[in-house]
Amino acid sequence: MSGKKFNIILSLFILVIIGLVVSFLYYNKPHTNIEKSEYDYSLKAEQLIKEYKEQGIEAEKKYAERIIQVKGEIKNISTHKGNSVITLMASDSESSVICHMLPEENAKVLKLKNGQEINVKGKCTGFLLDVIMVRCILVE
Amino acid sequence: MKEIYIIIINLLLLNCVSAQGKFLTKDGYVSFFSHSVVEDIKADNNQVLSIVDSETGEIAIQLLMRSFMFKKALMQEHFNENYVESYKYPKATFSGKIMRFDELEELEGETQIVGTLTVHGRDKEISARVNVEINKNEIILIGDFYVEVADFDIKIPAIVANNIAKTIKVNFELRHKPYKM
Repeated sequence: MSGKKFNIILSLFILVIIGLVVSFLYYNKPHTNIEKSEYDYSLKAEQLIKEYKEQGIEAEKKYAERIIQVKGEIKNISTHKGNSVITLMASDSESSVICHMLPEENAKVLKLKNGQEINVKGKCTGFLLDVIMVRCILVE
Repeated sequence: MKEIYIIIINLLLLNCVSAQGKFLTKDGYVSFFSHSVVEDIKADNNQVLSIVDSETGEIAIQLLMRSFMFKKALMQEHFNENYVESYKYPKATFSGKIMRFDELEELEGETQIVGTLTVHGRDKEISARVNVEINKNEIILIGDFYVEVADFDIKIPAIVANNIAKTIKVNFELRHKPYKM
Protein backbone atom coordinates (compact mmCIF):
# COMPACT_ATOMS: atom_id res chain seq x y z
CA MET A 1 0.00 0.00 0.00
CA SER A 2 1.41 3.37 -0.97
CA GLY A 3 1.89 6.02 1.72
CA LYS A 4 -0.64 8.34 0.06
CA LYS A 5 -3.43 5.75 0.08
CA PHE A 6 -2.67 4.86 3.67
CA ASN A 7 -2.90 8.52 4.68
CA ILE A 8 -6.31 8.89 3.02
CA ILE A 9 -7.66 5.79 4.75
CA LEU A 10 -6.22 6.91 8.08
CA SER A 11 -7.74 10.39 7.84
CA LEU A 12 -11.13 8.93 6.82
CA PHE A 13 -10.95 6.60 9.78
CA ILE A 14 -10.15 9.49 12.13
CA LEU A 15 -13.05 11.51 10.68
CA VAL A 16 -15.48 8.65 11.29
CA ILE A 17 -14.25 8.28 14.89
CA ILE A 18 -14.61 12.04 15.49
CA GLY A 19 -18.10 11.93 13.98
CA LEU A 20 -19.13 9.07 16.24
CA VAL A 21 -17.73 10.75 19.36
CA VAL A 22 -19.41 14.06 18.53
CA SER A 23 -22.78 12.46 17.87
CA PHE A 24 -22.48 10.34 21.02
CA LEU A 25 -21.72 13.45 23.11
CA TYR A 26 -24.55 15.35 21.42
CA TYR A 27 -27.00 12.51 22.06
CA ASN A 28 -25.97 12.32 25.70
CA LYS A 29 -25.52 16.00 26.35
CA PRO A 30 -26.44 16.83 29.96
CA HIS A 31 -29.27 19.01 31.20
CA THR A 32 -28.43 22.67 31.68
CA ASN A 33 -26.45 23.14 34.84
CA ILE A 34 -28.58 25.71 36.66
CA GLU A 35 -25.87 26.62 39.14
CA LYS A 36 -23.24 27.38 36.49
CA SER A 37 -25.60 29.07 34.03
CA GLU A 38 -26.22 32.78 33.95
CA TYR A 39 -29.85 33.71 34.42
CA ASP A 40 -31.74 35.26 31.50
CA TYR A 41 -33.93 37.40 33.74
CA SER A 42 -33.89 38.36 37.42
CA LEU A 43 -37.06 39.77 38.94
CA LYS A 44 -39.48 39.78 41.84
CA ALA A 45 -42.20 37.14 42.23
CA GLU A 46 -44.92 39.83 41.99
CA GLN A 47 -43.57 41.12 38.70
CA LEU A 48 -43.35 37.65 37.15
CA ILE A 49 -46.92 36.77 38.16
CA LYS A 50 -48.23 40.13 36.97
CA GLU A 51 -46.67 39.69 33.53
CA TYR A 52 -48.06 36.17 33.19
CA LYS A 53 -51.54 37.26 34.25
CA GLU A 54 -51.72 40.43 32.19
CA GLN A 55 -49.75 39.52 29.07
CA GLY A 56 -49.73 35.74 29.12
CA ILE A 57 -48.55 35.18 25.57
CA GLU A 58 -45.71 37.69 25.76
CA ALA A 59 -44.65 36.40 29.18
CA GLU A 60 -44.66 32.84 27.86
CA LYS A 61 -42.36 33.82 24.97
CA LYS A 62 -40.10 35.74 27.32
CA TYR A 63 -39.77 33.35 30.26
CA ALA A 64 -40.72 29.79 29.29
CA GLU A 65 -37.75 27.42 29.04
CA ARG A 66 -35.48 30.23 30.32
CA ILE A 67 -33.38 30.31 33.45
CA ILE A 68 -34.72 32.99 35.73
CA GLN A 69 -33.91 34.20 39.20
CA VAL A 70 -36.92 35.12 41.31
CA LYS A 71 -36.93 37.03 44.57
CA GLY A 72 -39.85 36.52 46.91
CA GLU A 73 -41.21 35.79 50.36
CA ILE A 74 -41.78 32.15 51.32
CA LYS A 75 -45.47 31.31 51.63
CA ASN A 76 -45.08 27.59 52.11
CA ILE A 77 -42.47 24.85 52.08
CA SER A 78 -43.48 21.27 51.36
CA THR A 79 -41.94 18.09 50.08
CA HIS A 80 -42.96 16.14 47.03
CA LYS A 81 -41.42 12.71 46.45
CA GLY A 82 -38.45 13.61 48.62
CA ASN A 83 -37.76 16.94 46.92
CA SER A 84 -38.54 20.35 48.38
CA VAL A 85 -41.19 22.60 46.91
CA ILE A 86 -41.08 26.27 47.86
CA THR A 87 -44.06 28.51 47.16
CA LEU A 88 -43.23 32.19 46.83
CA MET A 89 -46.10 34.54 47.54
CA ALA A 90 -47.17 37.68 45.81
CA SER A 91 -48.92 40.04 48.20
CA ASP A 92 -51.35 41.37 45.62
CA SER A 93 -52.37 38.12 43.93
CA GLU A 94 -53.88 34.71 44.63
CA SER A 95 -51.23 33.19 42.39
CA SER A 96 -47.75 32.34 43.51
CA VAL A 97 -44.49 31.06 42.09
CA ILE A 98 -44.10 27.33 42.76
CA CYS A 99 -40.44 26.29 42.80
CA HIS A 100 -39.58 22.60 42.59
CA MET A 101 -36.08 22.39 44.04
CA LEU A 102 -33.27 20.08 42.96
CA PRO A 103 -32.60 17.29 45.51
CA GLU A 104 -29.17 18.79 46.30
CA GLU A 105 -30.92 21.76 47.89
CA ASN A 106 -32.86 19.75 50.51
CA ALA A 107 -30.44 20.43 53.38
CA LYS A 108 -30.42 24.18 52.70
CA VAL A 109 -34.22 24.32 52.42
CA LEU A 110 -34.59 22.77 55.89
CA LYS A 111 -33.09 25.94 57.38
CA LEU A 112 -35.67 28.22 55.73
CA LYS A 113 -38.80 29.57 57.38
CA ASN A 114 -42.10 30.91 56.10
CA GLY A 115 -42.04 34.65 55.57
CA GLN A 116 -38.31 34.73 54.82
CA GLU A 117 -37.21 36.48 51.63
CA ILE A 118 -35.13 34.34 49.29
CA ASN A 119 -33.71 34.19 45.76
CA VAL A 120 -34.45 31.11 43.70
CA LYS A 121 -32.85 30.31 40.36
CA GLY A 122 -34.39 27.72 38.06
CA LYS A 123 -36.06 26.95 34.79
CA CYS A 124 -39.50 28.42 34.19
CA THR A 125 -41.92 26.01 32.50
CA GLY A 126 -44.96 28.29 32.32
CA PHE A 127 -48.16 29.28 34.08
CA LEU A 128 -51.24 27.32 35.19
CA LEU A 129 -52.79 28.90 38.30
CA ASP A 130 -49.27 29.76 39.36
CA VAL A 131 -45.92 30.29 37.69
CA ILE A 132 -44.05 26.98 37.72
CA MET A 133 -40.30 26.63 38.04
CA VAL A 134 -38.33 23.39 37.97
CA ARG A 135 -34.76 22.29 38.75
CA CYS A 136 -34.44 25.21 41.18
CA ILE A 137 -31.55 26.14 43.45
CA LEU A 138 -31.22 28.69 46.26
CA VAL A 139 -29.03 31.70 45.54
CA GLU A 140 -27.41 33.89 48.19
CA MET B 1 -74.83 37.06 71.55
CA LYS B 2 -75.80 38.02 68.00
CA GLU B 3 -72.14 37.94 66.94
CA ILE B 4 -71.74 34.45 68.30
CA TYR B 5 -74.70 33.25 66.23
CA ILE B 6 -73.25 34.86 63.15
CA ILE B 7 -69.91 33.21 63.79
CA ILE B 8 -71.54 29.81 64.33
CA ILE B 9 -73.65 30.13 61.17
CA ASN B 10 -70.59 31.20 59.20
CA LEU B 11 -68.59 28.25 60.48
CA LEU B 12 -71.41 25.89 59.51
CA LEU B 13 -71.59 27.42 56.04
CA LEU B 14 -67.83 27.18 55.59
CA ASN B 15 -68.00 23.54 56.60
CA CYS B 16 -70.64 22.86 53.98
CA VAL B 17 -68.61 24.59 51.29
CA SER B 18 -65.47 22.62 52.05
CA ALA B 19 -67.41 19.35 52.35
CA GLN B 20 -69.23 19.74 49.05
CA GLY B 21 -66.69 21.83 47.26
CA LYS B 22 -63.70 21.37 45.12
CA PHE B 23 -60.70 19.18 45.70
CA LEU B 24 -57.43 20.31 44.18
CA THR B 25 -53.81 19.35 43.65
CA LYS B 26 -51.00 21.43 42.20
CA ASP B 27 -48.37 18.71 42.31
CA GLY B 28 -50.12 15.85 40.61
CA TYR B 29 -48.03 13.33 38.72
CA VAL B 30 -48.36 12.32 35.07
CA SER B 31 -45.82 10.28 33.16
CA PHE B 32 -45.71 8.77 29.72
CA PHE B 33 -43.85 5.79 28.44
CA SER B 34 -42.83 4.79 24.95
CA HIS B 35 -41.43 1.34 24.34
CA SER B 36 -39.68 0.41 21.10
CA VAL B 37 -37.07 -2.09 20.02
CA VAL B 38 -34.48 0.68 19.85
CA GLU B 39 -35.10 2.36 23.20
CA ASP B 40 -37.52 3.05 26.04
CA ILE B 41 -38.42 6.67 26.65
CA LYS B 42 -40.04 7.95 29.83
CA ALA B 43 -40.91 11.46 30.96
CA ASP B 44 -42.32 12.65 34.29
CA ASN B 45 -44.37 15.69 35.16
CA ASN B 46 -44.78 16.49 38.86
CA GLN B 47 -46.53 19.84 38.47
CA VAL B 48 -49.95 18.76 37.30
CA LEU B 49 -52.96 20.85 38.28
CA SER B 50 -56.17 18.93 38.83
CA ILE B 51 -59.54 19.89 40.27
CA VAL B 52 -62.31 17.47 41.21
CA ASP B 53 -65.86 18.52 42.06
CA SER B 54 -66.70 16.21 44.93
CA GLU B 55 -70.44 16.68 44.28
CA THR B 56 -70.54 15.55 40.69
CA GLY B 57 -67.26 13.77 40.04
CA GLU B 58 -66.36 16.18 37.29
CA ILE B 59 -62.65 16.61 36.79
CA ALA B 60 -60.44 19.19 35.05
CA ILE B 61 -56.71 18.67 34.58
CA GLN B 62 -54.06 20.98 33.19
CA LEU B 63 -50.35 20.49 32.74
CA LEU B 64 -47.44 22.23 31.09
CA MET B 65 -45.72 20.26 28.35
CA ARG B 66 -42.40 21.84 29.33
CA SER B 67 -42.72 20.36 32.82
CA PHE B 68 -42.13 16.88 31.40
CA MET B 69 -38.65 15.84 32.50
CA PHE B 70 -36.70 13.38 30.38
CA LYS B 71 -33.53 11.56 31.31
CA LYS B 72 -31.78 12.90 28.23
CA ALA B 73 -31.73 16.67 27.66
CA LEU B 74 -31.72 16.20 23.90
CA MET B 75 -34.94 14.17 23.98
CA GLN B 76 -36.61 16.86 26.08
CA GLU B 77 -35.49 19.49 23.57
CA HIS B 78 -36.79 17.54 20.57
CA PHE B 79 -40.05 16.75 22.37
CA ASN B 80 -40.77 20.42 23.12
CA GLU B 81 -39.41 22.01 19.97
CA ASN B 82 -40.22 19.54 17.22
CA TYR B 83 -42.88 17.08 18.31
CA VAL B 84 -45.43 18.75 20.61
CA GLU B 85 -44.40 22.33 19.71
CA SER B 86 -44.65 23.66 23.27
CA TYR B 87 -44.09 27.24 22.12
CA LYS B 88 -47.42 26.99 20.23
CA TYR B 89 -49.26 24.62 22.56
CA PRO B 90 -47.77 25.05 26.04
CA LYS B 91 -50.52 23.14 27.85
CA ALA B 92 -52.27 19.81 27.69
CA THR B 93 -55.72 19.67 29.23
CA PHE B 94 -58.30 17.09 30.14
CA SER B 95 -61.87 17.63 31.14
CA GLY B 96 -64.23 14.82 31.97
CA LYS B 97 -66.09 12.87 34.55
CA ILE B 98 -65.33 10.12 37.02
CA MET B 99 -67.96 7.48 36.26
CA ARG B 100 -70.11 6.01 39.07
CA PHE B 101 -68.65 8.68 41.37
CA ASP B 102 -71.58 8.73 43.80
CA GLU B 103 -71.32 4.99 44.35
CA LEU B 104 -67.67 5.34 45.22
CA GLU B 105 -68.10 7.75 48.10
CA GLU B 106 -66.00 7.04 51.20
CA LEU B 107 -64.57 3.88 49.76
CA GLU B 108 -62.12 2.50 47.29
CA GLY B 109 -63.00 1.29 43.89
CA GLU B 110 -62.03 0.92 40.29
CA THR B 111 -63.91 2.86 37.66
CA GLN B 112 -63.36 4.85 34.47
CA ILE B 113 -62.68 8.50 33.80
CA VAL B 114 -64.20 9.55 30.50
CA GLY B 115 -63.58 12.86 28.80
CA THR B 116 -61.68 14.95 26.28
CA LEU B 117 -57.91 15.08 26.21
CA THR B 118 -56.33 18.02 24.38
CA VAL B 119 -52.69 17.74 23.37
CA HIS B 120 -50.91 19.68 20.63
CA GLY B 121 -54.16 21.57 20.02
CA ARG B 122 -56.06 18.38 19.03
CA ASP B 123 -58.99 16.90 20.97
CA LYS B 124 -59.50 13.22 21.57
CA GLU B 125 -62.14 11.40 23.59
CA ILE B 126 -60.47 9.00 25.97
CA SER B 127 -61.41 6.59 28.70
CA ALA B 128 -58.95 5.85 31.49
CA ARG B 129 -58.94 3.03 33.98
CA VAL B 130 -58.69 4.55 37.45
CA ASN B 131 -58.51 3.48 41.04
CA VAL B 132 -60.37 5.93 43.25
CA GLU B 133 -59.84 6.38 46.96
CA ILE B 134 -62.07 8.87 48.72
CA ASN B 135 -61.92 9.99 52.30
CA LYS B 136 -62.75 13.23 54.10
CA ASN B 137 -59.46 14.92 53.35
CA GLU B 138 -58.40 13.41 50.08
CA ILE B 139 -59.55 12.18 46.71
CA ILE B 140 -56.86 9.98 45.23
CA LEU B 141 -56.95 8.96 41.58
CA ILE B 142 -54.38 6.51 40.28
CA GLY B 143 -54.68 5.07 36.81
CA ASP B 144 -53.48 4.81 33.26
CA PHE B 145 -54.57 4.92 29.63
CA TYR B 146 -53.11 4.59 26.15
CA VAL B 147 -52.99 7.18 23.38
CA GLU B 148 -52.01 7.02 19.73
CA VAL B 149 -49.36 9.57 18.73
CA ALA B 150 -51.09 9.98 15.35
CA ASP B 151 -54.38 11.09 16.99
CA PHE B 152 -52.72 14.33 18.08
CA ASP B 153 -51.16 15.18 14.73
CA ILE B 154 -47.66 14.86 16.20
CA LYS B 155 -45.17 14.34 13.40
CA ILE B 156 -42.24 12.06 14.06
CA PRO B 157 -39.42 12.25 11.48
CA ALA B 158 -38.86 8.98 9.60
CA ILE B 159 -35.28 8.75 10.86
CA VAL B 160 -36.41 8.27 14.48
CA ALA B 161 -39.73 6.56 13.70
CA ASN B 162 -38.38 3.26 15.04
CA ASN B 163 -37.30 4.87 18.31
CA ILE B 164 -40.76 6.09 19.28
CA ALA B 165 -43.79 3.88 19.87
CA LYS B 166 -47.03 4.48 17.96
CA THR B 167 -48.99 3.92 21.16
CA ILE B 168 -47.93 5.72 24.33
CA LYS B 169 -48.85 4.64 27.83
CA VAL B 170 -49.82 7.43 30.21
CA ASN B 171 -49.81 6.95 33.98
CA PHE B 172 -51.25 9.38 36.49
CA GLU B 173 -51.40 9.80 40.24
CA LEU B 174 -53.44 12.72 41.54
CA ARG B 175 -53.85 13.35 45.26
CA HIS B 176 -56.45 16.07 45.69
CA LYS B 177 -56.94 17.99 48.94
CA PRO B 178 -59.95 20.11 49.89
CA TYR B 179 -59.60 23.48 48.25
CA LYS B 180 -59.73 26.45 50.61
CA MET B 181 -60.18 29.89 49.13
